[in-house]
Amino acid sequence: MKFMIEDLPVLFPYPRIYPEQYAYMCDLKRTLDAGGHCVLEMPSGTGKTVSLLSLIVAYQQFYPEHRKLIYCSRTMSEIEKALAELKALMKYRADQLGEVEDFRGLGLTSRKNLCLHPSVKREKSGSVVDARCRSLTAGFVKEQKDRGEDVDLCIYHDNLDLLEPHNLIPPGVWTLDGMLRYGEQQKQCPYFTARRMMPFCNVIIYSYHYLLDPKIAERVSRELSKDCIVVFDEAHNIDNVCIESLSIDLTEESLRRAGRGAANLERKITEMKDTDAQKLQNEYAKLVEGLRDADQARDEEAFMSNPALPDDLLKEAIPGNIRRAEHFTAFLKRFIEYLKTRMKVLHVISETPPSFLAHLKELTFIEKKPLRFCAERLTSLVRTLELTNIEDYQPLQEVASFATLVATYETGFLLILEPFESDTASVANPVLHFTCLDAAIAIKPVFDRFSSVIITSGTISPLEMYPKMLGFNCVVQESYAMTLARRSFMPMIVTRGSDQSQMSTGFQTRDDPQVVRNYGNLLIEFSKLTPDGIVVFFPSYLYMERVISAWQSMGILDSVWKSKLILVETPDSQETSLALETYRTACSNGRGAMLLCVARGKVSEGIDFDHHYGRTVLCIGVPFQYTESRILKARLEFLRETYRIRENDFLSFDAMRHCAQCLGRVLRGKDDYGIMVMADKRFAKKRSQLPKWISSALLESDSQMSVDQAVASAKKFLKTMSKPFPAKMQEGISTWSYEDLRKHQKKMEAEKPRMDEDGEEISYGQRVLAQAREMEDEMDVDEDMDAAMMEVEVGR
Amino acid sequence: MSRLAQPKTSPVIKRDGRMGGGAGGPDGELHNDIRRMNLDQTQSTNADLVATEICPVCKSSRYLNASLRFLVNPECYHKMCESCVDRIFSHGPAPCPIPKCGRTLRKHRFREQTFEDLRVEREVDIRKRVAAVFNKREEDFENLRDYNDHLNDVEDITFNLIEGIDVEETEKRFEAYKQANSREIEENAQMAAHEKQSFTQQQKVERHQAKQRREAARREEEEERREAEENRKDVLKRLASGADADTVAKEGQRVQLRKRMDRQAAAERQRQLQAAEDARNNGSSNFVIKGLKAKTKAEPEEPIDPFGGLRFVDSYYSLQDDYVWEGIQEAKKDVRQTAGGYDVMDYARRSLVAAFSGLGVFVADEVTQRDQVGQDAEAVGTARADIGVKDIGMVDAA
Ligand code: SF4
Ligand SMILES: [Zn+2]
Ligand SMILES: [Zn+2]
Repeated sequence: MKFMIEDLPVLFPYPRIYPEQYAYMCDLKRTLDAGGHCVLEMPSGTGKTVSLLSLIVAYQQFYPEHRKLIYCSRTMSEIEKALAELKALMKYRADQLGEVEDFRGLGLTSRKNLCLHPSVKREKSGSVVDARCRSLTAGFVKEQKDRGEDVDLCIYHDNLDLLEPHNLIPPGVWTLDGMLRYGEQQKQCPYFTARRMMPFCNVIIYSYHYLLDPKIAERVSRELSKDCIVVFDEAHNIDNVCIESLSIDLTEESLRRAGRGAANLERKITEMKDTDAQKLQNEYAKLVEGLRDADQARDEEAFMSNPALPDDLLKEAIPGNIRRAEHFTAFLKRFIEYLKTRMKVLHVISETPPSFLAHLKELTFIEKKPLRFCAERLTSLVRTLELTNIEDYQPLQEVASFATLVATYETGFLLILEPFESDTASVANPVLHFTCLDAAIAIKPVFDRFSSVIITSGTISPLEMYPKMLGFNCVVQESYAMTLARRSFMPMIVTRGSDQSQMSTGFQTRDDPQVVRNYGNLLIEFSKLTPDGIVVFFPSYLYMERVISAWQSMGILDSVWKSKLILVETPDSQETSLALETYRTACSNGRGAMLLCVARGKVSEGIDFDHHYGRTVLCIGVPFQYTESRILKARLEFLRETYRIRENDFLSFDAMRHCAQCLGRVLRGKDDYGIMVMADKRFAKKRSQLPKWISSALLESDSQMSVDQAVASAKKFLKTMSKPFPAKMQEGISTWSYEDLRKHQKKMEAEKPRMDEDGEEISYGQRVLAQAREMEDEMDVDEDMDAAMMEVEVGR
Repeated sequence: MSRLAQPKTSPVIKRDGRMGGGAGGPDGELHNDIRRMNLDQTQSTNADLVATEICPVCKSSRYLNASLRFLVNPECYHKMCESCVDRIFSHGPAPCPIPKCGRTLRKHRFREQTFEDLRVEREVDIRKRVAAVFNKREEDFENLRDYNDHLNDVEDITFNLIEGIDVEETEKRFEAYKQANSREIEENAQMAAHEKQSFTQQQKVERHQAKQRREAARREEEEERREAEENRKDVLKRLASGADADTVAKEGQRVQLRKRMDRQAAAERQRQLQAAEDARNNGSSNFVIKGLKAKTKAEPEEPIDPFGGLRFVDSYYSLQDDYVWEGIQEAKKDVRQTAGGYDVMDYARRSLVAAFSGLGVFVADEVTQRDQVGQDAEAVGTARADIGVKDIGMVDAA
């Protein structure tokens, strides 16, 4: 279907469009026109990706700037899905326009997924694949080969050099799978093809890390221009990704291995002095002159890149006291030895980088400056020594990254040494966490560099939290409700058991047998009434185990067993995927099943339970984070002092975003239906923190239920759902044909002058939705913003 | 500064064959020992692990006696247990009981080792000594390059001392430097001490403030909770007295919201005051003067003037943006002319230059002048140049 948004012709690859999709596109266009950042929340299962792609591609092709799109997603499967959508879209465009546009869309993921080398691709760990690939592709290896030495090269990589550098792969959209096949056919490496073609692509789809993690971003995303449109999809967890990309954990074992790495380097240096002293000499001379390695820029396979962010990098010469190779290795050894002594302490320490540096200097005379250059110096040394078995130096690299980071950032980071794994452990297993507390640090260069950054997800409420935490201003901030012709999902909050006693997983009542029994009853009832699949989320593994064993002894599981198969998620991903498979089979063949899982586990993120795979989702307890964690405590304090976000606000925000993720799992489209049960008395106060599309469907009467009430209304709901509901009835309300869309646009235009007169600042998208909602009848829940603010959190 | 290290061009250090075995350096032998240790360690890390748990003197082991403490003496870095130290060295200095060592040790110098690796332990001791003398700072140097060279030199010296290379000579250089720079060393040491002190002070203040802030936040939360509770009671009371439920509830919420806003505003004000105060404090007390070393700044280079002060200005005419003349107008519109990049204004400019180029040149005067100068054959060249200058000079002067 083809329609106009203002002056922009949009081709949408489906004959019908949802009102919220249209609203979403309008707001997107507004953002792009204004040239700013935005946060958009779009209900899950309403075709967010396709609306995003079709608008941006239309924008790209229509305006002369041809702004490039960088689309970041979280997992490999999401990347593949987005690529497939893009491919379909481009095909549709070609059909409609009657010509194939000159267009390139590529996806990039790690080498592990894209490698074709027969032996390298069989490696299990991603970092080993990376390291082995490097040793087969590094610039000096090629030089050695040219000199006639007997070294191995990757033929897939070499073949690339025979091709035109800007045309390694024909235009079009390539899914990862397609790339692999093409690569196998042409004997060229898909990974490097994608990476080298990035400057020539119209659309790039890759994982967050390629933009956020400075260790990778520097190499991969350096050449992208400022006017790129950056999209972070499924971005509800983006703050954690940012933080993880700058945090480092060191253990005794990794230090030991780093020490061995340093000793190896020393040995190599001595060897090289005997055989090829000139090389070291050259490196030294270059460092004296303060020259950055010219090859460094070109070398796409550097051993590691500087973990500091581009704007914090020092552009001076390497300090004199680590210029010489042997001085530098001694320096590293001293630093590692120092860290080892720190590990010996048997009580918890948390300190800021400046105080760490002060102590370090006092004990070992290591200054801040050379420390900052550690990563860079190590890279240079590794290149000079032409090391091939790079994977052995991984731990050393980690230590060097740590050194650079700790000497670069004074605030926003904290060192926490935890000698014991848990409070009860008696054998020390110390871990030194160097943790980043400020999510804004890692993402700042992205906001600075690109003019339009779009942050979007199905559950990203409350919207204003993200600009606050990530430190940016946005021009558009929008959350869309879901337009439905009938109420196809039913959220409810259960606060009491049938015996009227409160239900909560708060730690005072956690182990109260009455509470556990009430939860058990809830489980039994829903297992009886729900057709097919039912998914249950617990706040933590620990709690899940405890409750399951209690239920076992109460005979609750036996009753559930009568109607459903019971499967459990475990921390082991293999076991979990087996459980999932069984679950799906049981759902498909009509037996029905129940999956018990954890709100922060693998299942809660990224696995969909559409249609009969999930008819009910049961959230047992509010999934708060484990507050005793020292890292979390430090972060809370940081948030409070820097961004004025109160601890309880953040904790409750974080719990609710996970909860919303869990709830969103069962509803993957407008023709889907499902029940969402939040079972905890504390949910009653947190209603306003749910995404708009869920909270607006949550009726006042459903927000304080007891188990038997919940069961009754769930039964009623399922009964209405079982009536046939022809797709025709949705038309004009929750789906629009072209005529409906035109009608709507006309109406908007007629209304526009009036709006302007009022001087009302209502976004276009809002009006679209308001319009659409007029057509619905029943689910009109007023959203009192005041009430939202007044929701005072009393003891979580 | 005086160049102390060997020239930069030889990073490959020549090894001293005798390993400094002369009178100058006890470190030479020591180095041998440590190298041996080094070898042992690389041979079997496992045996090494066991070795660290057993006293080499009395053979008592950590395994049997968990409270066993090991001490080392920076004289030779041989490790032994506390009771051995007590036993052997309580009555004054005695030779080290480790075979083939025999160095005289004193009890008061025994200490617990900081680092697991004894070589690093020793290295750090040496560094301490070096750092006390070579304590110049970046501000003491004209530029970064000099500073880096200095760091390089210092590192060379340290490294030589540690590895036992050219110990004798290095020591000499060390002493020479110490003598030559004693005053500066003293100054810098004082400055470092001062800095350290203010740093610890600052840290203390910061920690204290963080604690206060934390407490304040807790208090605030407490307060809020109490208020919410009160508010609830209030609402209940009013409801009990028969008011309309909805309005009462709304009212209650509003009151609470207002209170919260007030409190936030107050907190914000407080924080601003605090920040201002901090700024003032920083301005006065913790101020350290740095980098007052005399540095001769290089004169800023003047912009290059290839014509020695002459400027080419069109003073007889000024170029207009457009000239209304058929020839030009036509050419301007003609694609055949413009396609090749031909700019009509170039033509105008050139014509004007040609038209005015002779003005201000008086040939007759020049001829006489040349005739005069011509008599002096050597000066011809210069005169020619002069004439040239004059030629342009006329334009300039007019
Ligand atoms: S160049 Fe490509 S195919 Fe070759 S080892 Fe690296 S990733 Fe694998
Ligand atoms: Zn002993
Ligand atoms: Zn001894």
